[in-house]
Amino acid sequence: MSFTESFKQNFIENNRWHYLVDGLGTTLLITLLAVILGMVLGFLVAIVRSTYDKTGKMKILNVICRIYLTVIRGTPVVVQLLIIYFVIFASVPISKTFVAVIAFGINSGAYVAEIVRSGIMSLDQGQFEAGRSLGLNYRQTMTSIILPQAFKNVLPALANECIVLLKETSVAGYIAIQDLTKGGDIIRSQTFSAFMPLISVAVIYLVMVMILTHLVSKLERRLAQSDRR
Amino acid sequence: MIDVKGLCKSFGDIEVLKGIDEHIEKGEKVVIVGPSGSGKSTFLRCLNLMETPTAGTIIFEGQDITAASDHEINKVRQRMGMVFQHFNLFPHLTIQKNITLAPVKLGLMSQAEADIKALELLERVGLPDKAETYPGMLSGGQKQRIAIARSLAMNPDVMLFDEPTSALDPEMVGEVLELMKQLAEDGMTMVVVTHEMGFAREVASRVLFMSDGYVLEQNTPEEFFANPENPRLKEFLSKIL
Repeated sequence: MSFTESFKQNFIENNRWHYLVDGLGTTLLITLLAVILGMVLGFLVAIVRSTYDKTGKMKILNVICRIYLTVIRGTPVVVQLLIIYFVIFASVPISKTFVAVIAFGINSGAYVAEIVRSGIMSLDQGQFEAGRSLGLNYRQTMTSIILPQAFKNVLPALANECIVLLKETSVAGYIAIQDLTKGGDIIRSQTFSAFMPLISVAVIYLVMVMILTHLVSKLERRLAQSDRR
Repeated sequence: MIDVKGLCKSFGDIEVLKGIDEHIEKGEKVVIVGPSGSGKSTFLRCLNLMETPTAGTIIFEGQDITAASDHEINKVRQRMGMVFQHFNLFPHLTIQKNITLAPVKLGLMSQAEADIKALELLERVGLPDKAETYPGMLSGGQKQRIAIARSLAMNPDVMLFDEPTSALDPEMVGEVLELMKQLAEDGMTMVVVTHEMGFAREVASRVLFMSDGYVLEQNTPEEFFANPENPRLKEFLSKIL
């Protein structure tokens, strides 16, 4: 079979390209919402953890956060996804995409938390003292002095986490979500040709990651304004 | 203005301050000198509770700040400016924002009022053209002058200086000391930890000598440098003068 024939068979016949386009849509939706959930969770956990490290306050919250980090980072994301779908939401009729967002968001939050915490802790203690010495309270110092700088410093690591998350969602097929990976796999099972659909799926992921990388480096350049010397 | 009684501070097993009684009047310029590790920076940092004293009381304008709530402490700090050895400017903000951040966040001024105040202060510290630049583009001396302007934006009643010239290249020490001298002449109450004996001699109304967690001697600058009594002070002065 020639390349063109194979292309036709895999994508054009029966409108099979829909599997990829719809799958990509699902993948992007899950990724986007999970990134947002992960960032929110991650920042909150990082703030709790570094507040405890700096001031000794929020003891109980800190213990809860540590348990969260240990459990989430200690178990595979597929297992977490399966548990959330088949155990936690077992008897609740609920959208699978929603389950995936929860699972990947909670998972990502653990990694984001440690990234952000490292950003906060790496800042000079003097930044904190300067804020407090002006009469700003802890929260004001955090939000207007510490977090903006920490965010800027950990941006490359956060971008990396987004890329990882985008690719990790490829296991969503485990709970029968038709994401990009699953879409390619369905085509393969219908046409019995593996090369074309799977390589296409890989290329689409690659392009997505390249676009993401480009956007982040643009953002990084903008935030680096204050570094001009 | 500031009344310190029996102030002690330990870090773990290390006793840094071993009982300090001191009274600072409004308008005084108190300069604290002493060898490294004598506790002078810790003493200064206790005054605005950057360090929490282990024992003793600090009364600021009638209020015992060692017994104050977090909220009250924040209020007190608004009236006590602090200048750090390493400037601690906020590198992600422009100079203007560095100066206006606290008064605006704390609701003391609108952004517009604070901007006007910032330009006045920049004029006063001799850097009127730096409003829109970032701290990373300034020299050490310029950074420290901006740090002083940032503190002044809060209209403090007293300014605490923690070795403000120790991290500067020698040729930049002068511009910062000159600014501090102007501040002193304008009547600001100042507590200064420094190694600049010339500044102490010229500007101080009183010089304290600290060693091993105690204030061992204090006097007017003339007497302090001309007729030191404590043998530790004599030794210290003989080494640095």
